[in-house]
Amino acid sequence: MKKIVKLGMILAVFCVLSAGILAAVYLFTQPRIESNSKSAFISSMREVLPEANSFKSLKCGEGKVYAGMKGKERVGAAVLIEQRGYGGTIEILVGIDLAGTIKGMKILNHRETPGLGAGISAPGFLKQFMGKTTKDPIEAKNDIEAITGATISSRAVCVGAMKALKEAEGCAKENK
Amino acid sequence: MNLWKDFNQGIVRENPVLRLMIGLCPVLAVSNNATNALGMSVAVAFVLVCSNWVVALIRKVTPDEIRIPIFIIVISTFVTVCDYVMNAYYPALYAALGVFVPLIVVNCIILGRAEAFAYRNPVLSSILDGIGMSLGFALALVSIGVIREVLGAGSVFGVPLFSSAQAATIMILPPGAFITIGLLMAAMNKMENKVQ
Repeated sequence: MKKIVKLGMILAVFCVLSAGILAAVYLFTQPRIESNSKSAFISSMREVLPEANSFKSLKCGEGKVYAGMKGKERVGAAVLIEQRGYGGTIEILVGIDLAGTIKGMKILNHRETPGLGAGISAPGFLKQFMGKTTKDPIEAKNDIEAITGATISSRAVCVGAMKALKEAEGCAKENK
Repeated sequence: MNLWKDFNQGIVRENPVLRLMIGLCPVLAVSNNATNALGMSVAVAFVLVCSNWVVALIRKVTPDEIRIPIFIIVISTFVTVCDYVMNAYYPALYAALGVFVPLIVVNCIILGRAEAFAYRNPVLSSILDGIGMSLGFALALVSIGVIREVLGAGSVFGVPLFSSAQAATIMILPPGAFITIGLLMAAMNKMENKVQ
């Protein structure tokens, strides 16, 4: 009995030490981690909408819509869409100008099959979406060439792109 | 030289993947291309050397009965610290290695070496064992990664060698991992038999 208590105490000491170290490291690194992920997201938005130099979150639509600003003038929107793919959620960032055409697209996160579905983040595939509007069909095997062996992933990106266009359209009138 | 032996036993003779056959789960998962394999190797090396060091350091105050929970605490603390620090101060490195870091917790090489080596040996030997085992792990993982990437995607470290349309996609999917590991193990055994 005494031994169990003693061992329990030793284990508790180790746990407390470990928890203390983790808490200290967390407090120390968390602000930096947050600012890193924020600045990474902003630089992704710049990639898909190079014209804009700052972004403002808009409260409208279901997804996350950010107005792209150049100085005080609005030049377009960056829309973050989460779309179910083959292996999980695909996070797609779409840059759309005021006329409602796609200016840039980037896959921020995906869990598609390596070698097949993972091809959705290749520039060659995403380039096909440039200049598309809501008037285009944006369909795999129609105006978008799907990736061989990854129809579901390709289709998910198409659906996501269309959703993004509609979100941007719905938010076009939204106050600046 | 004993220290030399501590260092080099992990590289070929007791190669963790191809001879001890531990840590196969992450090997199967991340060896689909050479870049991932190298990234995982670097992350494992860091945690393995650190955890071997700490386990050897505290082995005199660790009671036998609760050594495993204590090893697990030490390892998971290191993995989490490594994850946070990398994320905060080396975002570029984290973007490349971030996905592998949480996987290290389930890598039994680390627990295996803590139990089989660091718990019974002094600090310097344990650190050397950690470095040697990491090199062995890296050697196996990167070879598997290169073989699978060349055959499955037609490139190596992302540099295209031939058209990916001619590549056998099965090699970068899970079956390719089993096939490659099996063949490499067979080659290792053949070499071993010849030496004897």
